[in-house]
Amino acid sequence: MREYRICSNCVMDTTDSRITFDVDGLCDHCRTFRDDVLPNWHPDERGEAELIRIADKIRADGKNRGFDCILGMSGGFDSSYMLHIAVTQMKLRPLVFHVDGGWNTRVAVQNIENVVEKLGLDLFTEVIDWEEMKDLQLAFFKSGVSHIDIPQDHAFIATLYRFAAKHNIKYILNGFNYSTECVRNPLEWIYHGSDMRQFWDIQKKFGTRSLKNYPISSIWYHKLYLRYIRRIEMVRPLNYVPYVKEEARRVMADLYGWEAYPQKHFESRFTRFYEGYWLPTRFGYDTRRVQFSSLILTNQMTREDALKELEKPAIPVDQVPHEIEFVATKLGITPEELITYRDMPIKSYQDYKSQEKLFEIGGKFLHLIGKERTLKR
Amino acid sequence: MISILDYGSGNINAIATLVKLSNISYEIVTHPGQLASATKILLPGVGAFDRTMSTFRASGMANAVRMRLEDRSVACLGICVGMHVLANSSEEGSLEGMGLVPGQVRRFHPEDIPESPKVPHMGWNTIEVHKPHPLLAGIDMAQGFYFLHSYHYECDSADDVIATARHGRDFDAVVGTDRVFGVQFHPEKSHDNGIRLVRNFVDL
Amino acid sequence: MLRSRIIPCLLIRRNGLVKTVGFGDGKYVGDPINAVRIFNEKRVDELTVFDIDATVEGREPNYSVIRNLAAECRMPLSYGGGITTAEQAAKIISLGVEKITISAAAIARPELISEVAEAVGSQSTAVVLDVKKGGLLRGGTHLVTHNATRRTKLDPVEFTRIADSHGAGEIVVNSVDRDGQMGGYDLDLAGEIRRATTLPMTVLGGAGNIGHMEALIDRVGVVGAAAGSLFVFKGPYKAVLISYARPANASPR
Repeated sequence: MREYRICSNCVMDTTDSRITFDVDGLCDHCRTFRDDVLPNWHPDERGEAELIRIADKIRADGKNRGFDCILGMSGGFDSSYMLHIAVTQMKLRPLVFHVDGGWNTRVAVQNIENVVEKLGLDLFTEVIDWEEMKDLQLAFFKSGVSHIDIPQDHAFIATLYRFAAKHNIKYILNGFNYSTECVRNPLEWIYHGSDMRQFWDIQKKFGTRSLKNYPISSIWYHKLYLRYIRRIEMVRPLNYVPYVKEEARRVMADLYGWEAYPQKHFESRFTRFYEGYWLPTRFGYDTRRVQFSSLILTNQMTREDALKELEKPAIPVDQVPHEIEFVATKLGITPEELITYRDMPIKSYQDYKSQEKLFEIGGKFLHLIGKERTLKR
Repeated sequence: MISILDYGSGNINAIATLVKLSNISYEIVTHPGQLASATKILLPGVGAFDRTMSTFRASGMANAVRMRLEDRSVACLGICVGMHVLANSSEEGSLEGMGLVPGQVRRFHPEDIPESPKVPHMGWNTIEVHKPHPLLAGIDMAQGFYFLHSYHYECDSADDVIATARHGRDFDAVVGTDRVFGVQFHPEKSHDNGIRLVRNFVDL
Repeated sequence: MLRSRIIPCLLIRRNGLVKTVGFGDGKYVGDPINAVRIFNEKRVDELTVFDIDATVEGREPNYSVIRNLAAECRMPLSYGGGITTAEQAAKIISLGVEKITISAAAIARPELISEVAEAVGSQSTAVVLDVKKGGLLRGGTHLVTHNATRRTKLDPVEFTRIADSHGAGEIVVNSVDRDGQMGGYDLDLAGEIRRATTLPMTVLGGAGNIGHMEALIDRVGVVGAAAGSLFVFKGPYKAVLISYARPANASPR
């Protein structure tokens, strides 16, 4: 067991087992930010000019289409703020698309309704077959791995890409942003959602029914076929504008009556349970470390505040039994069964078949050509 | 700690869920012996008066509650038909009630009321407070409570009326002596107001 | 003051939720538990759930599904679908459901209404009338059963009186022709039933906006205004997004 150590600048620590520190105690996440992200990130006039140029091109290409781009709206803050930017600043006509994986919170559906309505847009949705989703989620629980949010995550991504292809849409707006996500979840915490080799290995071993309606994608489909054959482009608008969480929050509350979530990704009841309880309790992984470190690096939070916040559990202790009961009921199992999955031996993605090497090569390539700046390892 | 009586009269799941989600500690009391240490007794009730009263008696629970109430630190709250059993009698049946809050339970006779209200009285209605009481502290009066009943309480003494509701005529919706209370509506189906009321009862 | 009840209505088919048009094949709208959870948090007045396969498949209600729904529900819940005996009704009430709705079995044998009322109380016994207008040749308006695949010769007003005299506690009138159309309730039908009984009434079928509910309340007074599509669909593409709102004449003041 490695000795405990925490970065001198952010709050990433040795719960990320592959973390490395330099002589000053600076972790590799911070170094990547300093060396690769910061020099290439211009959320100022330069970025905005670039964004206007991109917007003009999207509008021109989409002239004779019903929609000029597609935007996946989770109900989370990033996608909602991105929609605000896309419509009010970029003057785009996005097809707004929401995938219902069965775990929406009341606040999420309310936020989606408010933003879509106030912007005068029409919404599309796709509802994932819950019986299949449930079986797949249980399969991941039974596998013992940490990345049990894959069934939900993969469904969102796959449905979005299929929808883009079906409606012949050329641009996908993506909410990824350096401002709040420059530090990424380590691979050992949350493994790649589109590693289909891993997906099928776990599904075949622990699933109890075949997937007939569940949407499937793969890196071959969405990273190669769609991107290079169908020429669907991915745009990340939030990286071109100043995106300061607190200010953006005020804007959204004032304009759309936006209601905030207690934590990033808590728009889904499952993710709230997963990131707020399951990962920290079973694995010792606290995704708030990643989120807070991003905010520290982009000067939106102090390290002291982050450390203080991390002392509190993400989900208040008295709520935990209710969460367990709800998640168990929803999955059609007893709370006792769910607890056996919590306490079973820990497995990693390396215990199952994977395309890790392929992703590694792809990742290095994207890094080399400057398409990917952040560190996912 | 609240003790929910399960004496075989219908469902207690809803009220148990409500206290559980509100993080109120509770126990389900299924035999009279368990009442020995109870201080806040919740008396649910579903169905007809006679059936409720006879199961209440037969289970030995009626007697146990009466004895437990001799301890001055003990309070009891009856809900809907669980409220009706606190009366002396009911037009719905022939059995004698507990007589803990002196009064009678009567049927709504729409034909005798000028407004001829629809019976059963079903849905969300507001209440009017006659006697300010900690039981009703912090209640959203505009929102009110969920009612579902064809029979209503009529206290013998106006002193025991805490709040009334109106359905064609005024009737007693919240009644109580110093430690025995009854509510006609369903707190377990009345969202935030229901939670608040049960919490108020626990905190009395 | 007693307010009108604004009631989302959910249809269960093969464990999932669907929304039908004209009682036909439904569009899948997701999983019941999460929908109930969201309606809970939206503080809805009441919730109605129908298992639309049970009667057609000739099977009993699915008690484990009902138990899970009832456990999640913090508002009054009605359940209908496949109930043919008073024992089944009592069992469902014991799972934490406030009201039982019966239809096909009550039409076949009205005494069932008295038996259910005897077992669970009138206030918890609702009778659902699925009403369909006749074609050009037939004319008239009749009750239908088994997801509108069987037509009876019964007149809705006439059967309302029968249900009333057998001890029903509520009449739920559902227009098959308006189901999923979102063009407004059949106000004339609602008015006719209203005149025929002094029982509480709930109207279902056709609500497409809050104005339709307002119009219903203006027409018949305090009532249950139920809706499926209105509270699960949004916009021209029928996006599945749960919402809830009350008209001004049914809101707390």
